[in-house]
Amino acid sequence: MQLTVYNGSPRGAHSNTRLLLDRFLRGFEHRSGETHRLHYLVKLKQRDEQLRDFVEAPGPVLLAFPLYTDCMPGLVKNFIEDLRPLCGRDKLPPVLFLVQSGFPEAHHSRYVERYLEKLTRRLGCRYLGTMVRGGAEGIQVMPGIMTRKLFGLMYKLGSRLAQTGELDPGLLRKLASPEQLSPFAQWLYKKLLYRMSNNYWNGMLKKNKALGRCKDRPFTEKQ
Amino acid sequence: MKVVVLNGNPNAENTGFDEYLSALKSRLEEKGHVVDLLMLRDMDLRYCVGCFGCWVKTPGRCVTPDASHDTDRRVINSDVLLLASPLSMGFVSSVLKKAQDKFIGLLLPYIELVKGECHHLKRYEHYPYLGVLVEREADSDDEDLEITREIYERTCLNLKTSLRLFETTESPAVEVADAIDGL
Repeated sequence: MQLTVYNGSPRGAHSNTRLLLDRFLRGFEHRSGETHRLHYLVKLKQRDEQLRDFVEAPGPVLLAFPLYTDCMPGLVKNFIEDLRPLCGRDKLPPVLFLVQSGFPEAHHSRYVERYLEKLTRRLGCRYLGTMVRGGAEGIQVMPGIMTRKLFGLMYKLGSRLAQTGELDPGLLRKLASPEQLSPFAQWLYKKLLYRMSNNYWNGMLKKNKALGRCKDRPFTEKQ
Repeated sequence: MKVVVLNGNPNAENTGFDEYLSALKSRLEEKGHVVDLLMLRDMDLRYCVGCFGCWVKTPGRCVTPDASHDTDRRVINSDVLLLASPLSMGFVSSVLKKAQDKFIGLLLPYIELVKGECHHLKRYEHYPYLGVLVEREADSDDEDLEITREIYERTCLNLKTSLRLFETTESPAVEVADAIDGL
């Protein structure tokens, strides 16, 4: 089976989306005979080729992106608009999605998930499901012990797709956990994770000599 | 009130949509409002590249000196922001979404809990009410409208505002303008 993959992160090869896809694809290709073809949507000049590979995909298509202002990035929306001529065409491939966000809860991505399911009906493709993952912003800098479980789940999801042609619902649920913050997690967030999150951003602000300006309001107009 | 309308119509040949917004603007001005109608397709807006420079390098503004500085300035100083776009594949245009992606600098990177959910902290004191106006495409159905509306209700949670209007261009421009006037 060949999987055609579109990484819709505006960060391209330097994205958290890529890190998740890497593990998923390793799982998908764990046995011989499985292959993939990868496109980065940020390479706008390759759009014709990207679209051609969608139409000619010999197996499932995976569209992966980070959540941007509660939906897909503009770049990904632009790609989706270019799929318009394909609506209703015969023999389009089945499609699955990966949506990752920096918010810890998966819930933020459920609204775009609903859009994506409708999108497959509009195109006339079989919908294989959406992998939703929160808390992905820091994974590039997290120590291995913090990402082992996540990457393991991505590997298993890819492996299961190769074996069955489907996304495993149990693994999808695990990947999305926490769907929402429990009262204990909310308490923990207030006590501990707030500080960790703020330290993460403050560290980057400091590195850029911008910490003192972190709360600037550059667009405030004088009344 | 100051009303900012972001026209996300990507297609100059769709003159009906642009004319609708011109009529809306005229009606609002008759009512005494100040209206900024921005034609996004003619502006030099680049895609957000997810660098977070607007949070950690040049706090509050995109590191790319594109038209987002102008759109964000107008948006944050308005009382009502109307996001207007023909639906395309079931959602607002990529032209509008591109402009909207650059709103993240209007917030801080820091997180707070709102109703038990993580959201970003305010950067500014005041955020405009949000309205969304869409034009149906040939295969639009009520589900598309519901999905779009739900997504913008989420956007409001993050943008510290509320969705005060969600309309299609099937409603006359005068009625939509009057609804904005009544906010």
